[in-house]
Amino acid sequence: MSTREVFTDHLQAGVLLLPTMVVSLVFLYYPTVRAVGLSFYRASLAQGDVFVGLDNYRRLATSSEYLQSVLISVLFATCVVVGVMAVALCVSFLIHEITVGKGVYLVAVIWPYALPPAVAGLVFLFIAHPNIGIFTSYIEALGVDVNWFSHGPQAFVVVLIAAVWKQVGYNVIFMTAALGNVPESLTETAELDGVSRTQRLLRVYVPIISPTLVFLVIMNTIYGFFGTFPMVDLMTKGGPAGATNILIYDLYRTAFQFYEFGFASAKSVVLFIAVGLLMYGQFRLSDRYAYYGG
Amino acid sequence: MTDVTLQDVRKEFDGVVAVKNIDLQIPDGAFVTVVGPSGCGKSTTLRLIAGLEQATEGTIQMGNQEVTGVEPKDRDVSMVFQNYALYPHMTARRNITFGMKSAGDFSDEEIDRQVEEATAVLDIDDLLDRKPGELSGGERQRVALGRALVRDPEVFLMDEPLSNLDAKLRIKMRAELAKLHSEFETTTIYVTHDQTEAMTLGDRVVVMNDGRIQQVDSPQRLYDYPETRFVAEFIGDPAMNMLSVDISRDGTEYEAVGPTFRIPLPEADGLETAAGAQALLGIRPESLSVADSADRSSFPAEVTVTEPLGDSLLLECRTGDQEFKLHAEPRTAVEPGDRVALTVETERLHLFDPQTGEAIYHAAAAQSPEVTSTVDSTI
Repeated sequence: MSTREVFTDHLQAGVLLLPTMVVSLVFLYYPTVRAVGLSFYRASLAQGDVFVGLDNYRRLATSSEYLQSVLISVLFATCVVVGVMAVALCVSFLIHEITVGKGVYLVAVIWPYALPPAVAGLVFLFIAHPNIGIFTSYIEALGVDVNWFSHGPQAFVVVLIAAVWKQVGYNVIFMTAALGNVPESLTETAELDGVSRTQRLLRVYVPIISPTLVFLVIMNTIYGFFGTFPMVDLMTKGGPAGATNILIYDLYRTAFQFYEFGFASAKSVVLFIAVGLLMYGQFRLSDRYAYYGG
Repeated sequence: MTDVTLQDVRKEFDGVVAVKNIDLQIPDGAFVTVVGPSGCGKSTTLRLIAGLEQATEGTIQMGNQEVTGVEPKDRDVSMVFQNYALYPHMTARRNITFGMKSAGDFSDEEIDRQVEEATAVLDIDDLLDRKPGELSGGERQRVALGRALVRDPEVFLMDEPLSNLDAKLRIKMRAELAKLHSEFETTTIYVTHDQTEAMTLGDRVVVMNDGRIQQVDSPQRLYDYPETRFVAEFIGDPAMNMLSVDISRDGTEYEAVGPTFRIPLPEADGLETAAGAQALLGIRPESLSVADSADRSSFPAEVTVTEPLGDSLLLECRTGDQEFKLHAEPRTAVEPGDRVALTVETERLHLFDPQTGEAIYHAAAAQSPEVTSTVDSTI
């Protein structure tokens, strides 16, 4: 895109940009810089800040609790991304294929996304509550002893299902839109050629909507690492025994329950860099595999 | 190869009738073109045959088998779309083979052999490793044709396959399609809004309007003996002129009488019933010519517009309050505003009922249609 002089006068342009810049500076860039700075201090409300160099990072590298949290987070985010996208792709494809009642199904799928995360967490807490949950008895009828308040892996799965359930709607919006853009004649050609439904989805639709899928992988990754905080907070508080203690929740506890701001800052810097690198990797991969036309 | 029969086929979309109970027989190996204005139901008819739409009423047969309600993939038809419908992320080769491989009815050797054969005919051997985005419009359409060819279907269905190409390429591809058909002799149904394509490609032309079949005939008979006013005006460019006239009878002599002209009508079927009533006189622009001097069959007109086309001079004229067009000799010295005498080739006149639009008389009908044509008149 060529640069175009919209404003004749820099002052005018500056004034219009000012509100956005102020908000970005105060609420985004300043805290980022401050957090990086803070990660080199032992900071507490009572005793003030003491410079400790790389001590916080050294502590992180040697903390087995933190390493477990890293593993849990990576596993959790991976499961969220894969789970959300697999479910959303199937649902979107079904909605795309049917001709009657599209709107109804779409609304039904999207509504969990429209709920505030805290409400969604609470709803799921009651749906799957070990004692009073309405799904619990059905699941127990299958021979599973539902006790995820004390059983780590179960807690992980329940939070995972809640996280997926909440995010599927968002993905379905994008996927149905992308599927709607696939030319009708491609579908018809495939039908005439006797290409099966699954083949049509995997060989025709998925490659064509791959740019949307790449976008969703990235959004879901961010969601998996950061956006699932309210569910963990409301349902398991990171427990039992750290089974759902994902990095973002761990970070929150360090900062706002134990008031170790310096240590928490170090954790947030690590998380920021890790997710940043991951996203960079995803972009590079997508350039190679996603089909952007041409 | 097979024949296709539509019987009393009707298609409604949410109360809108797209196809109104049509009957059509397409013989084995024929190249049939379906032509009509936008929204006349021609594409819907094609899609009904493909199975992409289900008929509301009526039956469709292929060979001896009724296919109404049969899945598209089980009808053994190939379709070529206006927008080519190539999978954008696949190479040309993969585009051609994808359907065959997915269907699983063909062995790999068979696929390779078919691809080789089809691509050689279409001259796209060099393009097979490219993706559609790297191909020109004509090349894409060739690949799409290749994909249709390799499956060796019973019926080819083509939905305005040349409409997205530029004029020159369209003429070239038109000739190639004709060549392909003479080579493979697969029953082909070709939908177009372009009458030239319809006339040049089709053994039979189906003219549709408003969900109904107006006429099915060989191109020349369609031109010479239009059965309705719609066909008369749709086929031929510029369209056939329609002048309101009264038919007068004097013994065995008939005349078409307008406010400013009296044109003698050669004796043929239909004149007797038309006599004494009003009718529309159909005259093709090339049946009119500028006369050197006025005589009994000539009439005066005023030239309003001249359009030199090079090989002829298209004149727009007015006589009384009726306007019409004619092809005059090129380099005829006339200017807008000139008054000229026009003569009519009376052997090429037509009369239509002003109310129903049906043809009541063709001057050339003296030569019996059965003699001029060997076309099977069932279609």
